[in-house]
Amino acid sequence: MAFNLKGIRVPPNSATLQEARNRTFDFFRQACRSIPTIMEIYNLHDVVTVSEIRSTISSEIRKNAHITNTKVIDMLLFKGMEELGNIVEHAKQRHHIIGQYVLGRRGLIQDVGDKDQDISDFLKKFYNSNYF
Amino acid sequence: MGLGLLALRSSRASALSRFYRVLASQNPCNGVRGIVSTPELQNAEAAAAAAQPEPTPVIPPRTPVAGARVQFANPEDAIEVFVDGYPVKIPKGFTVLQACEVAGVDIPRFCYHSRLSVAGNCRMCLVEVEKSPKPVASCAMPALPGMKIKTDTPVAKKAREGVMEFLLMNHPLDCPICDQGGECDLQDQSMAFGSDRGRFTEMKRSVVDKNLGPLVKTVMTRCIQCTRCVRFATEVAGVQDLGMLGRGSGEEIGTYVEKLMTSELSGNVIDICPVGALTSKPFAFKARNWELKGTESIDVTDAVGSNIRIDSRGPEVMRIVPRLNEDINEEWISDKTRFCYDGLKRQRLNDPMIRGSDGRFKAVSWRDALAVVAEVVHQVKPEEIVGVAGQLSDAESMMALKDLLNKMGSNNVWCEGNGNLPQTDLRSGFLLNSNISGLEKADVFLLIGSQPRVEAPMVNARIRKTVRATQAKVGYIGPPTDFNYNHQHLGTGPQTLLEIAEGRHPFCSVLLNAKNPAIIVGAGLFERKDKDSVFSAVETIAKLGKVVRPDWNGLNVLLLNAAQAAALDLGLVPESSDSIESAKFLYLMGADDVNLEKLPADAFVVYQGHHGDRSVYRANVIFPASAFTEKEGTYENTEGCTQQTLPAVPTVGDARDDWKIIRALSEVAGVRLPYDTLGAIRARIKAVAPNLLHTDEREPAIDSTTLKPELFQKISMAPFGTSVENFYMTDSITRASKIMAQCSTMLLKK
Ligand code: SF4
Ligand code: FES
Repeated sequence: MAFNLKGIRVPPNSATLQEARNRTFDFFRQACRSIPTIMEIYNLHDVVTVSEIRSTISSEIRKNAHITNTKVIDMLLFKGMEELGNIVEHAKQRHHIIGQYVLGRRGLIQDVGDKDQDISDFLKKFYNSNYF
Repeated sequence: MGLGLLALRSSRASALSRFYRVLASQNPCNGVRGIVSTPELQNAEAAAAAAQPEPTPVIPPRTPVAGARVQFANPEDAIEVFVDGYPVKIPKGFTVLQACEVAGVDIPRFCYHSRLSVAGNCRMCLVEVEKSPKPVASCAMPALPGMKIKTDTPVAKKAREGVMEFLLMNHPLDCPICDQGGECDLQDQSMAFGSDRGRFTEMKRSVVDKNLGPLVKTVMTRCIQCTRCVRFATEVAGVQDLGMLGRGSGEEIGTYVEKLMTSELSGNVIDICPVGALTSKPFAFKARNWELKGTESIDVTDAVGSNIRIDSRGPEVMRIVPRLNEDINEEWISDKTRFCYDGLKRQRLNDPMIRGSDGRFKAVSWRDALAVVAEVVHQVKPEEIVGVAGQLSDAESMMALKDLLNKMGSNNVWCEGNGNLPQTDLRSGFLLNSNISGLEKADVFLLIGSQPRVEAPMVNARIRKTVRATQAKVGYIGPPTDFNYNHQHLGTGPQTLLEIAEGRHPFCSVLLNAKNPAIIVGAGLFERKDKDSVFSAVETIAKLGKVVRPDWNGLNVLLLNAAQAAALDLGLVPESSDSIESAKFLYLMGADDVNLEKLPADAFVVYQGHHGDRSVYRANVIFPASAFTEKEGTYENTEGCTQQTLPAVPTVGDARDDWKIIRALSEVAGVRLPYDTLGAIRARIKAVAPNLLHTDEREPAIDSTTLKPELFQKISMAPFGTSVENFYMTDSITRASKIMAQCSTMLLKK
């Protein structure tokens, strides 16, 4: 386990929302900086571009944009760091990355798009799974 | 001595071994190792005497065991007994054990079973009765007025402990590899009432295992000779296959000669065997009962709708066991119900498929499959669209199918088994009007073209119960078949029917003398061309024998499939009887028993279902659907009782619930059905057949038999046929089941 344990030391809680926000930006920057390494070690050049990965990261962060509790933000940040750490440490394999951050975004079905515009909610869910 | 033992115990507890030695030397009987762990039991009299001076505490009334209720036919028949000082009123003829149950005291037992005769041979149910010199076996002892029963005294406890010790003497200690482990009466009761050590040092006896066929596994060394299985086989199942051989320690359960147990109810001995002597063969070593998740559901392999519990582990159905429902299946289920579940794992359809030009199926996405079907359906004329619902369809999907076809402009939709032009206006014309438990009131049965033993084993068990209890007479018209009760074979076809209708047959007098005559007509007759005249002949008999009265409706139809009753209630009736011959687009919703020979070669067939069964060979497109263990669906049984299945396991592969597929197809085809949820589709059903929403209630039919015209002319003399050729394989699930295939080869051998 070459994973640097210092990296996951729990930082003190954010005192204000502003502090949590800054930390989030820091995390995003850190993640963006590691994208080239990630592309390299997982050999992703032929499946995805740097900008796509970057937007995946930002959308992943934006998914939690509504959260205002600093403790929750800290926890999510911690989880994000851990995930990033795992990825950079090559603790995952290529298909994990592709499944979660490349294909997982748009699903395995490629032909969604304008065809799905005029169908009902029911049918959309029906195509996805039996359980809704 | 009592004091010495008390001291002995306390000294052991506090580990004061020095004192122990001193005391032990004073105690003359320290060499005897007491089997009893509670010292009061060792000296019952002394302990009882010691307890005497205490004032008797007021015992609050307890709730009866398992909701036991008493009905007093006649208030004078009530007697009062005292159970542990608490007075209870019970009817005359109750046993002591039943009285205790009413009083809320559960008596341990092995051989007693409320639905079987009393054997009284295990002695586990011993209780103390005041003024009787010995403890009495409560299951066999009638309660007498004023009896003072004590279930909790040292004498009773000691008696139980003793019985347990004797039972365990010859019982193997193989609980870790026993399938009954965890739901074993012997385990539970030895924990509750047994001693904490054994004194037995000799060899245990062993017994050769018997071969009872592909369903029941035997480990006869575990048997405790309670004879429940023997009594079940002779009394309920009506086969004399099992019996008790030998005496004393040589006593064994077995088939007298090398023979399999050939009963359609044989699986129930697994449930009633209190130990692991009889267990399920297909379930052997597959799972432990505490890992299983139970889902209360309904059986769909016949029209009875037996209540079952589906035990699953993860995505797999591990076994099916019965649930108590006094009105339908009591606590038994048929072997087909119990063992068909392995069919749910084989031959499953899991992807939408389209048959390519080379005749092979290709898996495609739902999107493509629906698009293809939607395109084809618009190229045919509305009257060339035909839909058939299968035996196992639930009410929701049949409603959706009918609505879809109606929206397309076709009304050619029916449910298989219901014949060509079924009579649906009068519910009494297709239901078991006297209801299943009501059959017990009948004193004469006339079975017309129906073989209840294979068509509906649970109904047959009721008839047998009635015949056994009241010597009811049974007349049967139809091809020769197996019965497990006394019956009179009157004839094979409509000829006999007409004779009875015209009063020329000797059976007429039996019918006329009956108080509550019941006529049961098999749904196999629906398929006959002359069914209207057959039914009017039946009605004439009914009128003749006063079978339908305000207080008794004995004119019954015994349906064959789970979907039939709901389909008729929803009005799934085709417009013309030969629509298959002119069909260009055929939608089969799980229908595998329709005759597709007359279907034009260029017809486009869509098969929606869960198994690759017969109809798949002809299908052009396959929609995978979920089976009854995987969906929530409404079913109406043959007596008109609505019940629901619940999903126990997830669906296989890319399958979808039946009604969802039809709803999705309707949208792709541009005729969108107005319901998106199960609730919405039920609201739609409510408009058509409100009784289908009253779950677990039986909706009796309003009778008006006199409205129908009488016609006698074109009755054909062809004898009645059998509608169930092979009891073990009647639908797509059972046909896919390996166990059912084994059963049919081994048990149906002539
Ligand atoms: S096999 Fe089971 S049910 Fe039959 S006598 Fe033995 S213990 Fe009782
Ligand atoms: S239960 Fe009474 S003797 Fe067996």
